[in-house]
Amino acid sequence: MLPKFDLYMPTDFAEACRMKAEGMKVVAGGTDVYVNMHAGKDHSAQVLDIKQLKELQGQRYVTGQGLDLGALTTHRRIEKWDVIKEHYHALYQGCSQVGSVQIRYRATLGGNIMNGAPSADSIGPMLVHDAQVVVAGPNGERTIPLDKFYTGFKKFDIQPDELLTRIRIPQPPANSGSAYYKYMRRNAMDLALLGVSAYVELSGGTMTTVRIALTTAAPTPMRSYQAEAVLTGQEVSDEVFAKAAEAVVAEGKPRSSWRSSAEFRQRLLHEVTIVVLHEAAARAKKSPKEKASPIPMQLYPSLAGLLPRPKEEE
Amino acid sequence: MQTVEITVTVNGEVYQKTVSSNQTLLRFLRDDLMLTGVKEGCNEGECGACTVLVDGQPISSCLTLAAEMDGKHVLTVEGLSSDTRLHPLQEAFIEAGSVQCGYCTPGMLMSALALLNLYSHPTREQIRKEMEGNICRCTGYTRIADGILLAEEKIDAIRESALRVGKEPPQFTGIDEQFPEKWNSQYEED
Repeated sequence: MLPKFDLYMPTDFAEACRMKAEGMKVVAGGTDVYVNMHAGKDHSAQVLDIKQLKELQGQRYVTGQGLDLGALTTHRRIEKWDVIKEHYHALYQGCSQVGSVQIRYRATLGGNIMNGAPSADSIGPMLVHDAQVVVAGPNGERTIPLDKFYTGFKKFDIQPDELLTRIRIPQPPANSGSAYYKYMRRNAMDLALLGVSAYVELSGGTMTTVRIALTTAAPTPMRSYQAEAVLTGQEVSDEVFAKAAEAVVAEGKPRSSWRSSAEFRQRLLHEVTIVVLHEAAARAKKSPKEKASPIPMQLYPSLAGLLPRPKEEE
Repeated sequence: MQTVEITVTVNGEVYQKTVSSNQTLLRFLRDDLMLTGVKEGCNEGECGACTVLVDGQPISSCLTLAAEMDGKHVLTVEGLSSDTRLHPLQEAFIEAGSVQCGYCTPGMLMSALALLNLYSHPTREQIRKEMEGNICRCTGYTRIADGILLAEEKIDAIRESALRVGKEPPQFTGIDEQFPEKWNSQYEED
């Protein structure tokens, strides 16, 4: 049974902002908030359902410009949208692995961001695709790069009277590819034990732009700028990917939880980074239509003896 | 607001009700409408036993408020059959042995219906992916996938026989006035 609360479902944006400023609990899909309430972890006395707000609805793709997603866009919408598979494959991989079908029909991208979980599956792909978020309130709109939006564990660059309204993702060029790998203990209904996303732009065999994002490797989803610097301007090769993986391991700060120890996560970071970079680079070489199809994964290159294993700590 | 007035269509019938703001759709269906086919499992969206279709989409009714259902169409397992007539999916579940203790079955049926509305000829891989949100502790899932594939055959056969006698094939998206005594014999030519 849910705890008792007053429910508000405003249709007017300004009213919603005022209600949020009063300290009401904001709910979109409810797949995090109501779970916490059932578990007795959340006793909010006033709940603000924002699903009626037009400003947060709708999603549009304009060729040449990119995606304009309302914060209420569900994971299922992203999963079943061909544009996403073709141009933003990492985002497809992330969103299609969230919870279950039932959850994905309800859970929203805006909610995935604002819940602030370090394991959020849609965030890494959005980070590597250079997404920007739009927050709006009584004092107008602000557009913020997604990686600047996180200021700490479950903390955001947002005022109490502001709401996250839209997510904008630029159009990736034809010579780009992206990939996301979610390491799970089972193939459904699990949070990411670790996630790595990568985005690669290839010109000839050279990587001109690289972006890497890590999930469950820090208190917030994060970009790995050092690894990106290692890769930019380099040719695609196992050796340079291994160097980047070392940089990722140095930058990631995973902690131990009941899902896994920090040591295991560190080791995974190394392996999964290489796997994901291979997939993103392979996708970058494909024609736009072929980008939508899955690429067979090169699993654990160091176990296969292709690369030296990272040093064991005594 | 402590209470909310809603007008909701459940299994084809329109209800006007006043619900308390913290009542979940699951509790509304079970306690207010006595539709006890909807099961409460984990109550946190993990198990899928409470799956119902809202406007054709499978959702966990334990994580949905009844107050949000104003103007929506809800389909529960009770809406699949009428009197003694079963949906081909239900028939297939019985024939394939997809039911053991039966607690997950209403949720399984609703997810399977959504799956068949999405892919009319699903592969086993698609079945596994689309049914990922429904947990069964008895059957080992193989028989459930068998049941869905059998239902697909039954639906195909009915559609074909309807077309053969020049009738509009039924949609099988929910309760349907054309429900026959037995689906297989509906459009048999004399």
